[in-house]
Amino acid sequence: MDDEESLHRFGTPLPPLEKDVVPAKKPLAIEDQIVKDENGMRRFHGAFTGGFSAGFWNTVGSLEGWTPQTFKSSRAEKATPRAQQRPEDFMDKEDLGEFGIAPQGIRTREEFAKESEEEQRTGQRKRKLMQPEQVGPIPGVPVLEHLLRPVRDKVAVRILKSMGWKPGQGVGPRQTRKEKRLASARNKREQYLLDHYGAEGLPSLDQLQNAAVEEGNDDDDDEDDEEITFAPNDYEPIFYTPKENRFGMSYSGLSRDPILSKSSSSHPAAPMQHINLFGQLETQPKQKQLSIRGQAFGVGAFEEEDDDIYARDDLTRYDFSLADKKPKQKKIQHVQQRHVIDGFSEDKSEAALHKPYAIDLPRDFKPRNWLQRRSRFEPMDSERAKKLEARNEYKKTGLGRHDLNPDQRAQLLGEQKSQKEEQQQQQQQQQPQPPSRNPFKDRGKLLELINAKSEGFTKGGLITEEELPKAETAATAMAKQVKESNTTIQEKAVLKTKDLASATPSGGFKPFLADEAKQERYDKFLDAQLKTDAEITEFLANMQPVTLSLWDREMEKKEFIQAAKIYRPLNGLMYDRFVSEATVQAEQAKEQQKPPEERKVVMERNKTMWKPASLLCKRYNIAEPFGGSMLEPPKELKGKPKISIFDYLETSINSKADFQTPTIRPKHMEKPKPAVASSFALAPLDPPAAVAPEPEKEKPAQKKEEEPIVKASFVPRTPLEHAVDESREKPISEKKDLFRSIFEDSDDEEKVAVPPPQIATLSTPQEKLAAINEALGLPSTSAASAATLNVLRNNSPPRGIFAALFKPIEEAAAPAKFAPIEGNKLKIAYKSREERLRNDKELAMAQVPAEDIYGPKLPGKGPPPRTQETDHAEVDLEAKLQHLWQKHAPKKRSADKWVEKKTLSSDDSDSDSSSDTSSSCSASSPRKAKRSRVSKSKKSSHRSSSSKKSKKSKQKSKKKSKKSSDRSKPKAKKKKSKH
Amino acid sequence: MPVFANYHCKTTIDCQQGAVRAVRYNVDGSYCMSCGSDKKIKLWNPATGLLLKTYGGHADEVTDVAGSCDSSYIVSSSLDKSIIYWDVSTGTPVRRLRSHAGGVRCVCFNEDSSITISGGRDNAVMCWDIRTRRLDPVQVMKDARDCITTVLTNENKIYAASLDGCIRHYDIRVGEMTCDKIGEPVTYLAKTQDEQCLVAGCQDSVVRLIDCETGGLLSEYKGHRADDYHIECGILANDAHIVAGSSAGDAYIWDLLEGKVLQRIRISDNGGVVHSLATHPRRSEELLFARRRDMYVFTTDLQIEEEQL
Repeated sequence: MDDEESLHRFGTPLPPLEKDVVPAKKPLAIEDQIVKDENGMRRFHGAFTGGFSAGFWNTVGSLEGWTPQTFKSSRAEKATPRAQQRPEDFMDKEDLGEFGIAPQGIRTREEFAKESEEEQRTGQRKRKLMQPEQVGPIPGVPVLEHLLRPVRDKVAVRILKSMGWKPGQGVGPRQTRKEKRLASARNKREQYLLDHYGAEGLPSLDQLQNAAVEEGNDDDDDEDDEEITFAPNDYEPIFYTPKENRFGMSYSGLSRDPILSKSSSSHPAAPMQHINLFGQLETQPKQKQLSIRGQAFGVGAFEEEDDDIYARDDLTRYDFSLADKKPKQKKIQHVQQRHVIDGFSEDKSEAALHKPYAIDLPRDFKPRNWLQRRSRFEPMDSERAKKLEARNEYKKTGLGRHDLNPDQRAQLLGEQKSQKEEQQQQQQQQQPQPPSRNPFKDRGKLLELINAKSEGFTKGGLITEEELPKAETAATAMAKQVKESNTTIQEKAVLKTKDLASATPSGGFKPFLADEAKQERYDKFLDAQLKTDAEITEFLANMQPVTLSLWDREMEKKEFIQAAKIYRPLNGLMYDRFVSEATVQAEQAKEQQKPPEERKVVMERNKTMWKPASLLCKRYNIAEPFGGSMLEPPKELKGKPKISIFDYLETSINSKADFQTPTIRPKHMEKPKPAVASSFALAPLDPPAAVAPEPEKEKPAQKKEEEPIVKASFVPRTPLEHAVDESREKPISEKKDLFRSIFEDSDDEEKVAVPPPQIATLSTPQEKLAAINEALGLPSTSAASAATLNVLRNNSPPRGIFAALFKPIEEAAAPAKFAPIEGNKLKIAYKSREERLRNDKELAMAQVPAEDIYGPKLPGKGPPPRTQETDHAEVDLEAKLQHLWQKHAPKKRSADKWVEKKTLSSDDSDSDSSSDTSSSCSASSPRKAKRSRVSKSKKSSHRSSSSKKSKKSKQKSKKKSKKSSDRSKPKAKKKKSKH
Repeated sequence: MPVFANYHCKTTIDCQQGAVRAVRYNVDGSYCMSCGSDKKIKLWNPATGLLLKTYGGHADEVTDVAGSCDSSYIVSSSLDKSIIYWDVSTGTPVRRLRSHAGGVRCVCFNEDSSITISGGRDNAVMCWDIRTRRLDPVQVMKDARDCITTVLTNENKIYAASLDGCIRHYDIRVGEMTCDKIGEPVTYLAKTQDEQCLVAGCQDSVVRLIDCETGGLLSEYKGHRADDYHIECGILANDAHIVAGSSAGDAYIWDLLEGKVLQRIRISDNGGVVHSLATHPRRSEELLFARRRDMYVFTTDLQIEEEQL
């Protein structure tokens, strides 16, 4: 730091960068904004200087751009042909680029690029995957085949095309519609055969679909027009390849050809053969003799084939002579043969004439296409069927009851079919095949059929109409079977359970087998089937032996009843516990049926007060009811509709018990009211004739005075009380203020702090504490516990600034009049400011003439005489109370909805305004009230500070207070005792 | 006693705005508006079936609409919890009022269209000062215990029907709220021209006629099916016939005094709930029905018009 300071600075420093301001980017120079091409030439010129890449070869800015070409005579080289001008000479470089108008890159030419129309449309080629007929080592169509397309069609295709064939059509003479349909049917059948039994591979699916679609189209219009002929459908005919070997069916051994070898024409259908693209191009003499050899592992595509070291040495590999081994070229005779197209010759190989070998199939051979996925709905082999049947055996034995359909169940249970059903059935029988079938019936039948076949589709096959009767019979047969088996089982069960106690109540369980006599009695008791208690006792008394004591008899009776209940037959038990669904439904139906008739709408009308908003009245052009002096509805919390946390906390402070009759009343009640309103509001009151407004205010107050101070339940009587009561129940704002007063600085407090009215009215400190505790919802504590509560409080005299703050006021207020005693001085110092304020108020109270004070009456008798010690204790306690109150008391602000009595002088009202903390109502603007209050408190503080110190004044006040009201008495006393 | 003449379908308008939630006449019945489930309101000429204007701006289905007394503004309520005050000619939303805590079900203007009253699924009736730019309601009445289905007003009263089975009359002049408890959810409310009676369509498939003065039940009209739909009802301008939709694709017209069905208007043979209807404010010969995606204009004087044509 020092070094920096010692440094000399030169020049003017830059303005310091402000924190949040990011320095602006340096503006781009004009030179940087010029777009240039790769040669560093300017790309854009102004519109007037040529625009976009102006001049020949963009020479507009350059020197030669403007220098005219020097004249060049062609005289000398007249004859030389001018170099051919090409369009490229006039093109820019960009034009020749990838995105220019004449791109010069390697591309597939049009004729090679696209094959099918679809591809042309989509513009992209897809690699065809998994063409099943080509089973090679690499799946799919070879990539090379994709890349390279034959430029021209194959010869055969060209021939076909020349004969009028179009791609997509079949080959053959044109057919009429009928023929075509037949052909397509045949094709389909063949396709089907191929699907199921052909070992040739799967036909492509889309062909089948095409065929189906076409067929569908054909079916649409059945016009048999012989004139119109169609090209036959394209389909792949099955080519049966003659079997040339003795391998198993559809088995092809390892190819004798090495994998990368050229395809041998002698094995056209060898499936494992590698596709050789260039097979046709290569001209290599065929190996005549080949030993059978195989390679277990293929040779990679990029490996060269090893020498076959395991091959048998063959003598044919050796040369035994020097003679030319090559067979002599036969002269190909081009003899025109009959029935052969020019340029072709008849095939004379014997390949086609091989004698087909007969295959003896194993006896249990079932042809199956193993490549085809089987559906489980198709007929299954007998073994599986057997297994399934075995698995479903339980159904027949009656345990698969739920798999039966209702009819079968009904048959099993021997239920009578409902008449309706029978009728239906009869009808059906009468008309075995009605011309117009009811679809629902049919569906029902089908459902039945399905049900009948529900045992895991064992039978399989399609459910057709013809099968209907058969299935029915099957179902009934099965039902019969089940029924029979059931009966046998039941019989067996009966036989088995014969020995056991039967389910009838008389012969049922024998709970008292140990005591035979008792059991006998029990049996008899059961047989008697008695109902009433008296009957039972009588009945048992007759049977029971005389020796049995009365208690035993009673016990036995109970036991019997219990036993009878417990060991009831099963069905009885079930009866108790279950209700059949039918009955429930019936009950519900009954209920549903009844009500609409029973329901009798009874109109009820009730009226409540409702205050329309004044603006609403204005808009409706209606005078406000009662001149707008109606009570606001209690829920009129429009401003703060949200639920406040303060709603839930500290509600007890506003409990009814704490409620004191206020000497202040809601503002709106003060307003002059129309006759109706006032009569409404004040109906129960009987105003004294003397002073009209005064008693109105005083009346409820006095009433309250007569009542005990802490009332358990407050029952509002007059409308005013109603109003007050209502207003008491919405003290959210006050609670907020309360909390604010707790958490905020004490600066506010000195403006606001107000002694609680409850305290003022209560005589003894204990009572006060109790009252406060009650008000705050704390458990009532003794003075000692209050002291512990006060531990945190700083009771030390004000020091530093605070001392300075406090001193001058005191001294200024009482300059020479009062010289405090040493001990007292300390005490004064100890007193909190609030307390002082409070004392001031009390003083002020004392000065108030008696007539003007409202509020609950104080106990008539004066406070009991106290010793000095108790007084001291009281002082301490009071301090604690103060503190407690400070902690929890709501701010004065909260009282803003109340208005002080106008009749009182501002000084007097002060003390009263504090009592309103727990209640609020509508009206006056809060700020005003607050301000006025603050000013008042200041005033009073000034006054009181002076008065505090003068004993005389205190005495005076005491006298006054004694004169004026009982209420201020104890306070004055207290004050006295402090000094 | 006015003679009853059967109603015939005059025009069927495919509103092409999804399901039509409500149809309403304007103040003199020369135009009508339909609220669609596609969040739009359409203004029609019911006589010709001509679409005049489409008002779009709601964020959810429009539930109700009302035209101002001078037909220059429209107020609409929507399930997006807002009410929009539209300029008819420009088709622009003038104000969007949001204070409802739930979808707004119904809306109406007072007589001079200075106040808009809305009722919503938040059980609140709100009065809005539509003339000023105040965006919060003038007054909120939260007495209802269930969704407000209809609000009505006359020169000194506000009526609110609620699904809690009560009809509440807020008398501004007296400063009193009268609650008439029917006990059945009230799905729609209409008032007679003489404002002596209220017609309340109830959920139990009964339309009830209620005396405003005493709150007594004057008559019941049965026959239609309400099921679980908010079927609307109405009273014709002659105060002699009551009309209500039905869930089976038809509408019923009763005689007010006798309570018997005068006509069962078969609106459609293939079902569809006739949930909304509007009675012409002046002429008792015209009726509007809404069913599914269509609006139907019914009149009694079909022949006459044909002759005129």
